[in-house]
Amino acid sequence: MTDPLAEKPLPRASAESLAYWEGAKQHKMLMLHCSACGQFWFPPSARCHHCLSTDFAWDEVTGEGRIYSFVVYHRLYHPGFERDLPYVVAIVELREGPRLLTNIVGARWQDVRCDVPVRVVFDDDPRGVTIPKFAIADQPGSQA
Amino acid sequence: MIEQDPALRNRCAIAGAGNSRLGQVPGSSSLDLLAEAISNALDDAGLELADVDGLITRGPDDAYCHHQQIGERLGLNARFSTSLDNGGASQILAVALAVMAINAGLASVVVCGYGRNAWSRTHVSDAARVKNQTRPDDQHNQEFGPEYGYFGAVAAHAFGAQRHMHEFGTTREDFAAIALAFRDHATRNPAAQIRKPLSREDYFNAREIVSPFGLFDCSLRSDGAGAVIVTSAERARDLKSRPVLIRGFGSHNNLTGWFSGDNMIRTAAIQSGDAAYRMAGIAPAEVDTVQLYDCFTYMVLVQLEDYGFCRKGEGGAFVRSGALRLGGRLPANTSGGQLSEAHVEGMLQIVEGVRQLRGEYPEERQVEDAEIALISGHGGNQVCHSTLILQRA
Repeated sequence: MTDPLAEKPLPRASAESLAYWEGAKQHKMLMLHCSACGQFWFPPSARCHHCLSTDFAWDEVTGEGRIYSFVVYHRLYHPGFERDLPYVVAIVELREGPRLLTNIVGARWQDVRCDVPVRVVFDDDPRGVTIPKFAIADQPGSQA
Repeated sequence: MIEQDPALRNRCAIAGAGNSRLGQVPGSSSLDLLAEAISNALDDAGLELADVDGLITRGPDDAYCHHQQIGERLGLNARFSTSLDNGGASQILAVALAVMAINAGLASVVVCGYGRNAWSRTHVSDAARVKNQTRPDDQHNQEFGPEYGYFGAVAAHAFGAQRHMHEFGTTREDFAAIALAFRDHATRNPAAQIRKPLSREDYFNAREIVSPFGLFDCSLRSDGAGAVIVTSAERARDLKSRPVLIRGFGSHNNLTGWFSGDNMIRTAAIQSGDAAYRMAGIAPAEVDTVQLYDCFTYMVLVQLEDYGFCRKGEGGAFVRSGALRLGGRLPANTSGGQLSEAHVEGMLQIVEGVRQLRGEYPEERQVEDAEIALISGHGGNQVCHSTLILQRA
């Protein structure tokens, strides 16, 4: 049946996304930031996603955002995730605008909700890649 | 803005419709199934292959130049032929393109068809079955997905369902109403892949797949094919079967992506439907039956809102009213749909629309006095949409 030693797939960076993954390794979330229109976009591509400008730079973002939507995997699609079931995959909208796909970690899947604030956490995979994930942020007034 | 051209309204017709064997057809090839459906559609129209001069098709995602492959198998040269690439929105687009080709003088009798062997190709080994992929590995995302355990179309649509539930208070009871209605229709369809009655308890006791979706929110893995023959309304009148007029069509593609803006809760069906209604010159209230692209229960609910059958956010109440059932206000997916009849990427929705408007079914399956049918297609990476409005001749 499934392979108990199976590992999770690692992201295979493209030429355009290499800096994103390098930043993650240093626990920084970097996004392409357009000098022409001032907007951020993701996933990385060779022209501004908003105005097609090629005048842009990698800038660090806050890593703060909210959950736009999420799902809970109960069924196994890849043997590398067998021990994680059930696990949460979410679309997080960053304060800077871009949305990205990620996991919500450190919370019971039953407690995850749309629109709750989240903050990036960096998951260092022993195979030498760091994968940005998100945790539910402390609510204002809650204990730090 | 150039308006959709009402000059093409009712200029063409569907002269024949057919399907292959459906469901689990062990060892079948998608091309053989499609050839079977095309042969049945030609018989239905009383036409022969020699009458066909146009071919617009689609098959599995890895099929290169699909129309060439099926044309070669059929032994057919065509004045106009191509394959489409809009996922589940392709099949209606094929009919729209056929109308355009016929009116441009590029073809006179166009076969539109789709075939797949999704059950057979995922049941060749246990690994393939667990993986449940109909798309080759090298066409999947290499980053920003697999490292998070994000695989498959179930999750993509479940994101939309979750956000809709959050914004509008939609519940799984609403999704259940859709699954149960379509299964009830399938119990009346001898060709349906699943005909076992489904209860509310069955729905809620089923295993969760990717929540908020459980097993019965998901469409079937099917082998199957469907085909229709498009020709001028004038020519169709003289053929064997009662033709069905192509009154309107529309298309819209939210190419910015399913994750962008509110695309997953206000879908491209809004603009695609507007275009089709304008071409057809009708309002939603004039539609007698809908055959909606039901890859997942939620997609039915959101399309009912987007097509204007109820207001945004009121899809849940609409489906719980029983409207979608045969005998209801707006009988939907009367063959059982992709949730229960067979998942053939929207092609069988067109076939079913044609059959309902011909009024050829026994009473228990027939939408009474069906004059206008609205049919939808949805697909690609969830953002391509197409709409077809058919009318009884």
